[in-house]
Amino acid sequence: MNCEQLAALYEEYALRVLDGEERAELEAHLARTGDKCIQGVSEARWLVAQLAHAAPDAQPPAALRGKILDAVKPTADSSRAVVPLEKPKAPEPRGMFPAWAWVAAAALALITGYTIRQMNNQNAQLAELRKEMKLATAQNQALQNQLDMNRMVAMVMMSPDSVPLKLMPKDSKMPMIHTYLHPHMGVAITADQMPSMPSARTLQLWIVPKSGVPVSVAIFHPDAAGEIALVAPVNMSKNEIAALAVTDEPAGGSPQPTTPIAWMAQVN
Amino acid sequence: MERILQRDSGALETLYDRYGRPVYSLVLRIAQNPASAEEIVQDIFLQLWRSADRFQISRGPLEPWLFTMARNRALDFLRLKREKQRRREDSDSDILPSAVVCPDPEGDIDQSRRAEKIRALMTSLPEPQRRAIELAFFEGMSHSEIAAATGEALGTVKSWIRGGLLRLRESLGEASS
Repeated sequence: MNCEQLAALYEEYALRVLDGEERAELEAHLARTGDKCIQGVSEARWLVAQLAHAAPDAQPPAALRGKILDAVKPTADSSRAVVPLEKPKAPEPRGMFPAWAWVAAAALALITGYTIRQMNNQNAQLAELRKEMKLATAQNQALQNQLDMNRMVAMVMMSPDSVPLKLMPKDSKMPMIHTYLHPHMGVAITADQMPSMPSARTLQLWIVPKSGVPVSVAIFHPDAAGEIALVAPVNMSKNEIAALAVTDEPAGGSPQPTTPIAWMAQVN
Repeated sequence: MERILQRDSGALETLYDRYGRPVYSLVLRIAQNPASAEEIVQDIFLQLWRSADRFQISRGPLEPWLFTMARNRALDFLRLKREKQRRREDSDSDILPSAVVCPDPEGDIDQSRRAEKIRALMTSLPEPQRRAIELAFFEGMSHSEIAAATGEALGTVKSWIRGGLLRLRESLGEASS
């Protein structure tokens, strides 16, 4: 099937209702072709997501809000009080108990102590396993995120509608940043061999319009390998853009550039 | 999202106040279990907090991105539950949704008006057609699974769903114009 024939299936694909063969055919087509179909699927995803409003209205439990907010507060989770295990009380010495009762009590205390120790060991092992599982899940998630982002960057780069631009560094020792401006998908930026940056600083990409002040598009940081791969939306048509620029800003970015332009590309 | 990137928990609070209820409603409808729905919604917002930098690509249309992630998560939960029952293999999990492009993010109709439109549309659909769309969206069923569940011909199910989605597109198109 060609693009036009498959376009009828975008929404059903986004709904995840297509059966194996149709779905496989569409996915293979999306992998082969460029952004036209992928853009269509993205729009279909938006449409299908609107069906969420058809769910009957339900009030979330009041405690849920607190749980979420507590989890993101750094100190909230870490200081949970540990309740010590209650030690078995030693029997009060009473002359009236026979010797065998003392022996039995001592044996019971030993067995209890041993059982508690075993349980603690098992709990520790379980906690360790949970920690490893969480770590593996987080790593898997990070890889998936990276993959999603790289796909987006590749889509923008390969699109015939994208305009390639070179962000030239003001400092000749710095590498060039490659930029691809797409009319709908935004701007993709890639670079490698970028120097590492302190965590208190960030790079910020700006659109410099033909008239008006620069508009922030994205803040980003080179990864550990000195690479950058990012797609950010651009809410301005190419004709309105005079240039793209990158500045070095405090972590979190700035409303307007606070340092001289470090990289720049003329657009119009 | 910029504020979340700056680790401002107040921003997450604002997001939760705005989207917590519709996201919870959606997840509860799919998972059919309040305790699981609560857990899934908590995961979703925490993931949003942790992966805010990855969200940049979808910064405009946050709501559909969030709904897509909520649906995927809840359907994954449902599948896992079914897997346990049926011992069946199905590992097509898509935790973070791909890009969602809103056709007109800025001039878009507001959330509540759009929600009204969707509800009105679903009510106006003939019962079997509405049921087919609900089975697809809320139960994650494919064409053939819906046909098997409803006892209808596969072609009929396909045309119901296609027609329903077409009406949805038209309805939202009218609403935004």
